[in-house]
Amino acid sequence: MTTATGGGTTPPRTTARTTPPKGFLRAGPRVAIPVRRVSVVAAIVLLVLIVVAAVATLSMGRLGVDLADLPAALTGDAEGKNRFVMNRLRGPRLTVALGTGAALGLSGALFQSVTRNPLGSPDVIGLAAGAGAGAAISALMFPDTVPVAVGALVGAVLAMALVYVSTGTGFRNPARLVVAGIGVAAIGAAITQYVVYAMERDKASVLTAYVNGSLAARSWSDATTIWLVLLVVAPLTALIARRLDIGEMGDDIAEGLGSEPKRTKSAAVVLAIVLSAAAVSVAGPVAFIALTAPQIAKRITRVSGPHLLLSALTGSLLLVAADLCAQQLPLFDDLPVGIYTMAIGGTYLGYLLVREWRRGVL
Amino acid sequence: MATTTAAPPGGAGTTRTGAARPALLLLLGLAALALALCASVMFGSRSTSFGEVIDVLTGTADPHITTIIESRYPRTALGVLAGLCLAVAGTLMQGVSRNPLAEPGLLGINAGASASIVAATAWFGASGSTDTMWWALPGALIAGVLVHVIGTAGSGTSVVRLVLAGAVLSAVLMAFIQAVTLSKPEVFDSYRYWVVGALGGRDFDVFWSVLPFAAVGFLLALVLGPGLNTLALGDATAVSLGSHPGRIRGGGLFAATLLSAAATAAVGPIAFVGLAVPHVVRALVGVDFRLQILFSALLGPTLLLLADVVGRVVMRPTELMVGVVTAFIGAPALLIAVRRMRGTT
Repeated sequence: MTTATGGGTTPPRTTARTTPPKGFLRAGPRVAIPVRRVSVVAAIVLLVLIVVAAVATLSMGRLGVDLADLPAALTGDAEGKNRFVMNRLRGPRLTVALGTGAALGLSGALFQSVTRNPLGSPDVIGLAAGAGAGAAISALMFPDTVPVAVGALVGAVLAMALVYVSTGTGFRNPARLVVAGIGVAAIGAAITQYVVYAMERDKASVLTAYVNGSLAARSWSDATTIWLVLLVVAPLTALIARRLDIGEMGDDIAEGLGSEPKRTKSAAVVLAIVLSAAAVSVAGPVAFIALTAPQIAKRITRVSGPHLLLSALTGSLLLVAADLCAQQLPLFDDLPVGIYTMAIGGTYLGYLLVREWRRGVL
Repeated sequence: MATTTAAPPGGAGTTRTGAARPALLLLLGLAALALALCASVMFGSRSTSFGEVIDVLTGTADPHITTIIESRYPRTALGVLAGLCLAVAGTLMQGVSRNPLAEPGLLGINAGASASIVAATAWFGASGSTDTMWWALPGALIAGVLVHVIGTAGSGTSVVRLVLAGAVLSAVLMAFIQAVTLSKPEVFDSYRYWVVGALGGRDFDVFWSVLPFAAVGFLLALVLGPGLNTLALGDATAVSLGSHPGRIRGGGLFAATLLSAAATAAVGPIAFVGLAVPHVVRALVGVDFRLQILFSALLGPTLLLLADVVGRVVMRPTELMVGVVTAFIGAPALLIAVRRMRGTT
């Protein structure tokens, strides 16, 4: 990150007030990630906050690892209780939370950049409801043969396809997108509610928790899944970051500048779907991270662009913080993390909408 | 001749007066409702014939058949009541907000009623339909007001805004509902049976306890019909005609909330009846709200009863709840409507 021109410790040029200094983190002729000074600062702050939240996640509460023992526990030297907590309980859970949050944030940033619409995100287009319905059906009809996560994956993809087809204009028109998303979500919710009704109470309760997005009892294999997907997909998003940035100026300008907006968009949508599908398969449909993380990232830096890295970091921070609440708040016992993100994200979305409306944007 | 330009379907020679078409439609509507009523008492896990229904009504059937058919009376009555409430509430909301998507479910009113009921069951020991009714009402009212405050903040109006505000409020209330139900197993148990939206398994007590609310709401709707007609001409014209747009709007929303709270408390949240019926009715009878309300009151029950019958026969021997059936019929209809949306951004 320090190799960035115009970033790091270089003082801003005199024109900085009107046009923020803009440089690129280059790797070969095709890769050029836009890097701005404010973004670098924001990224560092977000990283610090993530570390703080992560340390709190590992050390707080009755089962927490004492701060003094934490370095030893992290390097694998711990014994007894600490070893168990690190390897079985909070270690995998924290790792999954970090990866899932990043994947959701990145996915939301890609979606919003492509649709040029803050509402063009997996939450609004019925992905969660579709994933829930898929999980519910697989739990009811193939309880031992099809893993719930696979059902969720299939449901999520089907829901998105249905919205895409029924808008007739792809994901571009926000009004159609929202209404179609609501329609698809209604079908998904009806299926899920029926299954929850038809099952035994204990199984129904477990299913409801999963359908809300849960990080409880995650294993290292979940962590491996999400991080592998991130490791493959994140570099690919970096490849198209600059062309996405240009694409936000509009298709005509982008075409004039020699980038191919249609191909860029298709690639971005595919990557976004892979990311959110991976997130759903390890943690269930966690609400609103994909929607809010890019918006928060945008508001921190106040410059245009898709903010891929910052959205990913913000997503990580949001999910780890929400999971910390889920584990430590004494209000309710051990709720699925998705309920916290739903409450917080919903409130934030409401605030956002009112603000946009006051400015007459939407 | 005028018959060639304005003939209603199947109505040769009835085009001379404006009242002929509505009268004919009224007869058709009543016939459809009668058929739906019949189907509702005939079909189930043990189906009966039309002759047997007549026998029961005239008191000449064998006791076994009588028991079977009479056991279907409460759900039929509830279907009529809930269908009427939802359809008339949808018509009122669409008229008041001039928003073709206004519906109790989409505008967060169902979520408000649900959250209120869940809270009452969890902390105030509410149980039984009468208690539930009293708790559904304030929740529905508060949610209705909140959605309108959020949705109309700032300048300008848009179809999407209210729906979005409804979605936001629903999300937050849903988080609350899930939090409470997941941490209290007994609340979870009653909630999951209630939330699917079912007509079966309830007795006449439920019907009687919500009837007064439904009746007040429906009467208010009938009274407001002419006022809604003037409102449709625009606020300025309405004022010059001596109407009070603010009062009509407030009254309409109150009646709609009363009606949807009654339906929700009685049979659980049922989506899309309040959305779809007003559209069909408008296509049939035109813009006059007095006729729209009347026909919604006929078509809503017909639709809900038929959906319930479908749910009873498609998955025999088990049942599909009516809320699931309406979602499966209504959502595709909404998706088709989206494809036809024009000019809205």
